[in-house]
Amino acid sequence: MGKTSLLRIISRELSPTEGELSCPLEKPPFQAMIFQDLQLAEGASTLTNVLSGSLGRHSSVKTFFGFPQIEKKQGLALLQQFGLERKSSQWASTLSRGERQRLAICRSLLSRPTLLLADEPVASLDSQWAEKTLTTLHDSQLKKGGSIVCSLHDELQVQQFSNYILRLNPSDPSAWSWEEPNPIS
Amino acid sequence: MGRTQSDLLDMESKVPWHSRFDLLGITFLIFLGSALGALPSIEGSGRDLNYLGNLSRFLSQFFPPDWSILDRTLSGLVETVQIALVSTLLAILLSFIISLGASRNVAPLWLLWPTRMLLNMIRTIPSLLWALIAVVIVGSNSLAGVIALTFYSVGYLAKFFSETFESTDLSAQSALKSLGAGPLQAFQYGLWPNARPIIWSHCLWMLEYNIRSASIIGYVGAGGIGLHLKLYAESAESWNKFSLVLLCILVVVTVLDFTGEKIRYAIRQKLEGSAPNKS
Repeated sequence: MGKTSLLRIISRELSPTEGELSCPLEKPPFQAMIFQDLQLAEGASTLTNVLSGSLGRHSSVKTFFGFPQIEKKQGLALLQQFGLERKSSQWASTLSRGERQRLAICRSLLSRPTLLLADEPVASLDSQWAEKTLTTLHDSQLKKGGSIVCSLHDELQVQQFSNYILRLNPSDPSAWSWEEPNPIS
Repeated sequence: MGRTQSDLLDMESKVPWHSRFDLLGITFLIFLGSALGALPSIEGSGRDLNYLGNLSRFLSQFFPPDWSILDRTLSGLVETVQIALVSTLLAILLSFIISLGASRNVAPLWLLWPTRMLLNMIRTIPSLLWALIAVVIVGSNSLAGVIALTFYSVGYLAKFFSETFESTDLSAQSALKSLGAGPLQAFQYGLWPNARPIIWSHCLWMLEYNIRSASIIGYVGAGGIGLHLKLYAESAESWNKFSLVLLCILVVVTVLDFTGEKIRYAIRQKLEGSAPNKS
């Protein structure tokens, strides 16, 4: 079993083949997932893609002719934060892979999840954007008392940003281990 | 890695001989065989006619085109384009609704098959026959042309639309649902943006096609330039007028073809992503 399957089980998209998923809270947290394959609306503008993260807060009647001003403001602020503000009217299909990844991150952030599931969210970003993105994800979830489950490959990033590390072993699930990070000094 | 050329040659010789007879090869052979088999049954009149002489005598009457009727022809062309515009708009509206009933991923089975059957029936009837039916009902005018081409186009557009909905990437739609969007919202902001460019390409194609069709349905009285064609074809010594009408239609169709192609290509490029740094 791999990290994507694990994340999809946590998001209740898949059911576990063995064991069960339990949640210590009274009701399951509102969650959003940053998909590995991004799943953007290619023929919609960058701004519309971000704003569609807010759909859960509004009725279909309200969003039929567009999004509320306040969401637009926040959407634009997110785009600015991730360096996409100049591309806000372009179709998502015309962005580069790295820009698309940042766009997918903006969209899930605007849905304001308590639990953010991120499947390799920085895989196609350069090191500068990767660090900035992980910092933003970390801080924004921390600020509202939420949490983030994130799959990463880069050992440095893992040590720098995590509070708990679950190390997966694809060939032997019994060898999975919990660790605490030991920041490299 | 480390594969030498002789290894590759070896692999090639292991490909079984019948592998070239795939679906493409076999259907092409069947097509070629039946076309050749049909040749003997195509007969001429049996009389000894001078084909080339007939053709050159007939064509020589086309030249030079009679430019004196240009004004009349242009106003006929405008009417033709108007018929095509209105009928395409109506067809788009109708097709959008009907196509939802013909899309496997939207409609339930009990609705799917009747809708598809209906569309098949509409497509069976050629545009000229639709025009005849419409002329019988509403009389000989451009309204008949609009009705005829609307029905004709719905048969094709609704099929194209439903195929678009079926082949569109659904991942954005399900992603939005997982972010809390309702079904209508997920359709509007997840599926529709991906389908819209392709649907618009189909609409442009249909408009082009309808302008071509609208040029001929006047032949049976459904308005537009076709009526002029009929008049000139039936009156004596008018082939040079006929040729001017043809010439005008050719110009319009060529311009449309060219621009339509350009626009559709640009849409496709944009949707598939033309950013140079896209990996």
